[in-house]
Amino acid sequence: MGLDRRAFLGLVAGGAVGTMFTPIPWKLIDDAAIWTQNWSWIPKVPKGQIDYVATTSKLCPASEGLKIMRVAGNPVSAAGNPDHPLSRGGVSALARSEVYMLYSPARIKSPMKRNGKTFAPITWEQALIEMSEKLGAAKGSVASISGDATGTVNEVLTALVGKLGSAGAFMMPGEATSAAKALKLMGAQGQAGYDFENADTVLVLGADIFETWGTSTRNRKAFGATRPAGAKPASNYIYVGPTRNNTAAVCDQWIPAAAAELGVVAMGIAWHLLKAGATSNAPGFDTFKAVVNGGFGPEDVKRATGIGGDVLAGIAKSLMASKAALVVTGSPFGQGMGAAPVIAGMSLNMLLGRINKPGGVYMLPELASVVPGALSRAAMLDGDLPAFLKGVASDKTPAPKALLVYDANPAYGLPEAATMAKALEKIPFKVSFSSFMDETAALCDLVLPNSLPLERYDDVATPYGSGFCVYSLVRPIQKPIYDTKTSADVLLALARKLSIDLKFDNFQQVLKEKVASLSKASGGFVAKDVMPWQVAAGKPAPALVGGDLWKALEAGYAWTMVGQVAQTGMGFAAEVVAKAAKAGKPAAGATLAPYAQLRTGTPATGIPCQDLTTVPDTELLGENTLVRLNSETAKTLGLKKGQMVKLSAAGVDCQAKVHIFESVMTGMVSAPLGFGHTAFDYFSQGKGANYLSLMAVAEEPGSGMSMWIASEVKIA
Amino acid sequence: MSGQKKEFPITWGMVIDIDKCTGCGACMASCQTENNVEPQRDASNKLRSTSWMTVYELTNGKSYPDHDIAYLPRPCQQCGNPPCVSVCPVIATEKNENGGIVSQVYPRCIGCRYCVAACPYHVRYFGWFDPVWPEGMEKTLSPLTSVRPRGVVEKCSFCHHRWTLAKDAARAAGKDPEDLADGAYVTSCVQNCPSGALAFGDLKNPKHKVHELIKSPYAYRLLERLGTDTQVYYISRREWVRKLGDNYLKSE
Repeated sequence: MGLDRRAFLGLVAGGAVGTMFTPIPWKLIDDAAIWTQNWSWIPKVPKGQIDYVATTSKLCPASEGLKIMRVAGNPVSAAGNPDHPLSRGGVSALARSEVYMLYSPARIKSPMKRNGKTFAPITWEQALIEMSEKLGAAKGSVASISGDATGTVNEVLTALVGKLGSAGAFMMPGEATSAAKALKLMGAQGQAGYDFENADTVLVLGADIFETWGTSTRNRKAFGATRPAGAKPASNYIYVGPTRNNTAAVCDQWIPAAAAELGVVAMGIAWHLLKAGATSNAPGFDTFKAVVNGGFGPEDVKRATGIGGDVLAGIAKSLMASKAALVVTGSPFGQGMGAAPVIAGMSLNMLLGRINKPGGVYMLPELASVVPGALSRAAMLDGDLPAFLKGVASDKTPAPKALLVYDANPAYGLPEAATMAKALEKIPFKVSFSSFMDETAALCDLVLPNSLPLERYDDVATPYGSGFCVYSLVRPIQKPIYDTKTSADVLLALARKLSIDLKFDNFQQVLKEKVASLSKASGGFVAKDVMPWQVAAGKPAPALVGGDLWKALEAGYAWTMVGQVAQTGMGFAAEVVAKAAKAGKPAAGATLAPYAQLRTGTPATGIPCQDLTTVPDTELLGENTLVRLNSETAKTLGLKKGQMVKLSAAGVDCQAKVHIFESVMTGMVSAPLGFGHTAFDYFSQGKGANYLSLMAVAEEPGSGMSMWIASEVKIA
Repeated sequence: MSGQKKEFPITWGMVIDIDKCTGCGACMASCQTENNVEPQRDASNKLRSTSWMTVYELTNGKSYPDHDIAYLPRPCQQCGNPPCVSVCPVIATEKNENGGIVSQVYPRCIGCRYCVAACPYHVRYFGWFDPVWPEGMEKTLSPLTSVRPRGVVEKCSFCHHRWTLAKDAARAAGKDPEDLADGAYVTSCVQNCPSGALAFGDLKNPKHKVHELIKSPYAYRLLERLGTDTQVYYISRREWVRKLGDNYLKSE
């Protein structure tokens, strides 16, 4: 029997059709797909009882309340706590990383001692012996640096250093530093707190209020509440700064101005307010008026900033017409601003009568200290760390014999990084209380790992920017994963070894005493059904049930108080502004305008591993970070999109790729911070450049404080 | 398009107010961790990284100082007419369950990436690498979402597991699981957004806020003229943002 061509084709076609209708190939594909996905190295998800516990974020400076989801007792993810006034359910990309950082490859797993260029693990007992010997010998010359702006741990640290003979107890510089200096020069008492919830017109001078400035999560919640989706906004936000940053992107108006000229802009607005009849009984008003009228008229300001008089007149009109105007001043990158721009901005609040008023600026009292001999927060903020380290580097200031660094990374997070590293090298004995192997820990003699916030008791007291006093608890929800300890407990043990009496045996006792002291503060209450901004607006404050306060705090609620410090002599300090707020010379090359974002972490955390994906390829591409210039600036400098360039300033060079971005002022180079780590893990290390190292530190005329708000850079 | 549009009595949808989004990335971080997307050390390579939720930067294309920007968070648009469904040869992706959520069955996916090519919104991600967590970090995996191996396509599921939990909670409380209260089921990105820019709910339920929001004159959908009938709506008072959303040409 033969098989002709026609029969053969029929057989093939029949076979093909038959294959289509039989389930066998489909079943085989399905099975193959399942088999090829069932590999032993693909992690299996954990099983067990799911529960939720509350705590507060310490890694994120916005200090959000958190709800941690646990599975079989292990924390799995962090979400915003809807019951916490600084969170209201929101969370930043950084606070969300609290859980994952527990397992960061950069974590320090045990105490370590320097051994040549490397470190060798030691026991906690050995570490205490080593520290007590070295610190005992260094008595009279021990300095400290803290990167925790809100914790009671600072009381333990500064009391200990004070009793050892302090050579200086410093806080890492930030927005709070400039504000504290400004208020001191104005003769004011307390910490500036901004009541965004009750404000209807907000003028933002430089501060990146929705990203890195102050209680940014709470600020955004307050902003969102007055902006019903798709409807007419019930608030008016105006942003003045060098770039249309994350804050300016949602504001109603962006007015481009160099960061160094923000004080001039504020004084320019003051001119219009004074012209419209604004007045004040505060000390120094006459001098202020004379200074404003003498050098900050519309023509002067236009010459200095390029902003027309009509624009400033419009802002002044909006502020005067609103029921609750608020002026907020800060650095576009969270540090380096002098006192003068803050004084100028605060002067606007005074002219508008917005001090200690709903929707204005509250002068908040500092919570009572409980550790004897501790420095107050105001005293710590008065220290000038960059000036101190610059002095040490240049031998103008004697180097301390020992340095304790707590939760801070000055070798990376300060300007003029090369100078700061030189200063640190001159200090013979350095101890780092860090959770991660950061740039500063890598320079230290002893590295004593701090347990992470989810593994320790800690607290958050009134972060800068909060419009009300607030206290919340950080509590351990699991045992330390590695051989780490709560640094405050280590410091208390060290004090005992050195026979120094700090009154407490462990940090939990300190916190209990702190909470007990809050119970005695009049006007304090637990924010549950009534929120502090509602009380500020006139709602009666609920009573505080004293005995349950610790329990309420452990449950994730916050203690709050709408308080204000009586002001006896808050004045304008116009003479400081007169010296400092002057038009700068135009840069020959370009001016650096850095910006910071929470998704790239802090100097103390590095880039959280889960957050790297959130960084767009217009900021980080491969191993290179991108800087932003508008097309006019690029044309003037002869630069093209995608070109690799070298930025030079302060004796340092940084690589960058050019990104043309039109929401940057002409003459400015906008550069992302948070990159260029030489330490931490592979999520941070070797990615881009640290542009903060290009910033040169100068002394602000009038206040004498260090400032590095803008630096000229050469681009080649 | 699939040409098989199905109607669902419950239609979960998202409304994103672009005028409130500051582009912080909290929604992306929330999505990553909620859905067990691995931390990626080379995440700057956007052709190979995975992010079910991505925030795009929009510009009006003008020069300084008339330049304007906006941020657009983009989850899976959960199309009513999903282009990805009709091209899937193994029915690994489907729109056949209540709620109108486009499903993705990982064990059935053969990694052909037709759906990736078909999706006009670029919401589908092919896993190029085996998911590897730093040592110990696998303890932070959510038990509610499976871990996907390399070689399969994955995407936003509107945190579907949360719907299951919400229904369970409603049953336990003696309530109707098919009539959840507004807010009883929200996705992780919506829950954690610090600006309150994202809203979520049943588009067909008058008791849910999103039902009203999508009627706003400022509401629009991405690439609406393609007829994909998406369940994610955007709101912006800025006309250029709305026009950009539907890819208007300069001549239009």
